[in-house]
Amino acid sequence: MDQLLQHLLNALILGSTYALLGIGLTFIFGIMRVVNFAHGELYTFGAYMVYLFSVLLGVNFLLSIVIAIVLGIMLGALLEWVLLSRLRGADIDTTMLVMIGAWIIMQNAEQLIWSGVAKSIPMPFPEEPLSVGGVSVAWSRVFVFAVAILLIVGSQTLIQRTRLGKAMRATFQDRDTASLMGININMIYLATFALGSGLAAAAGALLGPIFIVMPTMGNLAVVKAFAIVILGGLGNMKGAALGGFVLALVEELGAGYISSGYRDAMGFLLIILVLMVKPTGLFARTERIG
Amino acid sequence: MNTLAKWLIVAFLVTVPLWLGNQYQYHVLIMMGIFTIGAMSLNLLLGYTGQLSLGHVAFFGIGAYTSSLVSLGFDLQLTDSYTFVVEPKPVWFAFFCALIVSGLCGWFVGKLSFRVRGAYFVIVTISFAEVVRLVALNWVDLTEGPMALNNIPPLASGVPWMEAGALSRRVANYYMVLAVGLVAFLIIQRLVQSRVGRAMIALRENESLAKSVGVDVTRYLVLAAITSAAIAGAAGALYAHYVRIVDPDVFLFIYTVTMVIMVISGGKGTLAGPLVGGLIFGILPELTRGHMLPEVQWIVYGALMILIVFFLPQGIVPAVQRGWATWQKRRDQSARDTSASNGRRQEVAR
Amino acid sequence: MATLKRLALAASMLALSGMGAFADTIKIGINQPLTGSVAASGTFITDGAKLAAQAVNEKGGVLGGKQIELVIEDNKSNPSEAAAAAEKLISRDEVVAMMGAWGSTFTLAVMPKLEEYGVPMVVETASSSKVTSAGNPWVFRIAPTSEMEAKAFGRLVPKFEVKKADFLVVNNDWGRGAADEFGKMLKAQGVSVGLVETMDPAAQDVSAQLAKIKASDADTLFVTTGFEQLSLVFKQAKALGIDRRTITTGGSQFPDRLAEQLGGAADNSYHILFFAPWFPEAAANPDVAGQYIDMWNKSGFDKSGLSDGFRGFDAVTTIAAAIDKAGSADPKAIRDALWAVDVKGVNGNIKFDKVGVEGSESGQSSPNVYVIEIKDGKLALPQI
Repeated sequence: MDQLLQHLLNALILGSTYALLGIGLTFIFGIMRVVNFAHGELYTFGAYMVYLFSVLLGVNFLLSIVIAIVLGIMLGALLEWVLLSRLRGADIDTTMLVMIGAWIIMQNAEQLIWSGVAKSIPMPFPEEPLSVGGVSVAWSRVFVFAVAILLIVGSQTLIQRTRLGKAMRATFQDRDTASLMGININMIYLATFALGSGLAAAAGALLGPIFIVMPTMGNLAVVKAFAIVILGGLGNMKGAALGGFVLALVEELGAGYISSGYRDAMGFLLIILVLMVKPTGLFARTERIG
Repeated sequence: MNTLAKWLIVAFLVTVPLWLGNQYQYHVLIMMGIFTIGAMSLNLLLGYTGQLSLGHVAFFGIGAYTSSLVSLGFDLQLTDSYTFVVEPKPVWFAFFCALIVSGLCGWFVGKLSFRVRGAYFVIVTISFAEVVRLVALNWVDLTEGPMALNNIPPLASGVPWMEAGALSRRVANYYMVLAVGLVAFLIIQRLVQSRVGRAMIALRENESLAKSVGVDVTRYLVLAAITSAAIAGAAGALYAHYVRIVDPDVFLFIYTVTMVIMVISGGKGTLAGPLVGGLIFGILPELTRGHMLPEVQWIVYGALMILIVFFLPQGIVPAVQRGWATWQKRRDQSARDTSASNGRRQEVAR
Repeated sequence: MATLKRLALAASMLALSGMGAFADTIKIGINQPLTGSVAASGTFITDGAKLAAQAVNEKGGVLGGKQIELVIEDNKSNPSEAAAAAEKLISRDEVVAMMGAWGSTFTLAVMPKLEEYGVPMVVETASSSKVTSAGNPWVFRIAPTSEMEAKAFGRLVPKFEVKKADFLVVNNDWGRGAADEFGKMLKAQGVSVGLVETMDPAAQDVSAQLAKIKASDADTLFVTTGFEQLSLVFKQAKALGIDRRTITTGGSQFPDRLAEQLGGAADNSYHILFFAPWFPEAAANPDVAGQYIDMWNKSGFDKSGLSDGFRGFDAVTTIAAAIDKAGSADPKAIRDALWAVDVKGVNGNIKFDKVGVEGSESGQSSPNVYVIEIKDGKLALPQI
């Protein structure tokens, strides 16, 4: 019984970071329809920035995370401005190829700068875990969970309740009409991509210290992010959040009770299954398929 | 490309061993050949049907594993009392098994994934490749998992005059890869220049229109997927018997990316495109080695890929063809203008 | 006197540069993981190899004055890349001998190339018995097998009073081999073996495996993997509230870094190592160990790499000795000479015994094994 509870708790915490990754990619892939393979590199970037500021430069840990997110937003904006702004109206394959190019460049730059040897980031939390009954969880993970939930709720509010969010929704539903209504389309594209990138950097900045930081850490993250977005239904924020938790639950229980070796396979099998049976995603409200 | 040029290229490739003496140069050529065959097979899907399969390496890996396992022999305990045993088979037999198994997987994946398009198709193919990689990693009884399949019989085993020194084995491997490459090229050529190929291109250009004039979309797509997967499997089998080790990392995404770069840069949807792309990205690493670190090389490839998509969106081959056509037109024009003689129009190479 | 020395040096430099025209240096190939999941260890071993080459060259090189040159290839922690790296080293760079390839999986991948081209390789890290039982006469291993490691540890088992043990191992030859051999050894001593859990070499989250282990009633956990993953295992075990004696095997654990990074989380753990640089006096050849530690510290390499770097040092020292003994830079002569070397290494004396298939035996030395304990965040030699 304790084992099951422990697995569920693990899944809840892991799920919050998956949800964060999924929501970040929802902005870029779900709403903008950019198949962004560089998403995982922003995740890696966030983790290395925390390493740079908190370990190498001695900046406060929490402040380092904030800096990493801000830099992630800036890098995302730069990518959008240099590469994607020239490709408005291009087909999905073209933008994808460009983003694969960006992915290769960024990953190898990271390898060049930081070397292939993994880095680890200490966290300023008590070492003794939080234990309730037979289950325990590290304080560092409680922190990650809290921040992730905060960011998820924040993005949800932004999209639903603010003028920027409204403008985003309008733009990606009907670009020409939105433009006629006086919305600055280029700014909206830039903001959306930057926001998604910032969330990826946030996920990396939060998970990097829990795990270890290496140049290839984004590769699995990006595929999982795609899985989550598809599970949730393209462009569906709440769906992506739920998709993150579902994926974590399937992985954790699969690893605990079926086989730890197939842990990562569970997610991919789930995608294939969902796309075959219900291509609109598990939590789709409207029938939309791109 | 006209027939004469084609024959000249083939003749040149056949005579390479007459002047190439260094073992390492053979190694580079052979690896380049294997990945070019992979790129050719990807081009059939990406270039002619317009479906970007980013799980293409799955078929390459399945071919590699099938051929290795059949040539090494294996046993599978299906039930407590029944064990399925395969004795080691000759390499040529294993090679054909690889073709069949990867072709079957192509059929299966085609059937499944052509229900969706665009981004969804991309994700399904990637997921498929990842699942296959994880199976290869975890089904240790069959695949040896991360310990890799070792001591795979070399390609030329069983042919007596090829058993001798390392160099002659290289020559033999070179000719095998060349032969498979030529056959693959001819098959793809026949296919895309037939009625089937025209249907595929119609599909790529306008799927709903093609449907409305009675093209059986799924059938043609699946046919393309089978052919493409079988050729990729052949490349994988060559790879396995050449490097003589297969591990689950043959399924890594980066190999698919390498093939995609070859096809895109050379020119998708042209027969010569993957060959040109394969040549460039097969030779380039060797030329730049010693001048730059491997990471810097990859950064250059990434940048090249972006530049090509921006400035030569059709790829190198169509750009050269266009350039050639314009140049000829201009030359003909000026010839007519100056002497008004019979401005002979040469047929533009396609 | 000083002038004379300088003259001699100038003369030898002249001789060297004159010789350079036809036979400049003798190339030794280094095939190590410099990127990927076990990059830290591979980098340290490469550093150790560089120090050995430097030491040999400072003493006048090999074959009466030729310098040795290391050609380093990254095998990216991947078996196919390891085979490709060997291919490049042999056919492109024409090395006369190699060191490699960090671990059984990579070494087994390289071995067919050795036979194909006839180049000997000194194996600095590899625990699987398959390496030396395959009948490959070009392989000379200076690392202990899992079996040797388990046997050496076996004498401590009664003192630890282990009743039941679980295993958490990396999913490759190294981890699975360790689980098999240690399991066999424990069973022979009447200890029962519980769970055997595996983890992907690149896996970062092992909480699911640990949750399962937490529910087990074993008193000891054996862990086999590289440092990167090991630190994650300790952190995550602590987070799940697992407080159990942990024994790590394999020799690439960097216990000093574990103690420093993890603080209390690494307490009550024992680490089986092949060199304990914190206690050089306990080494078999304290003078060689001292010299190696001095060179390492002078070069400014990461101190925690000492316990791994010695393998590269010992391997290259062994190869250099064999080249000298062979009297030529011919790979086959070097292979034959390896059978006759008797080198004072950091780990101990290196001498090869014939093992494996009769008629085409592989070489295996008898390395020493040390156990280190982490106690109150500090390293100690266990008092048992």
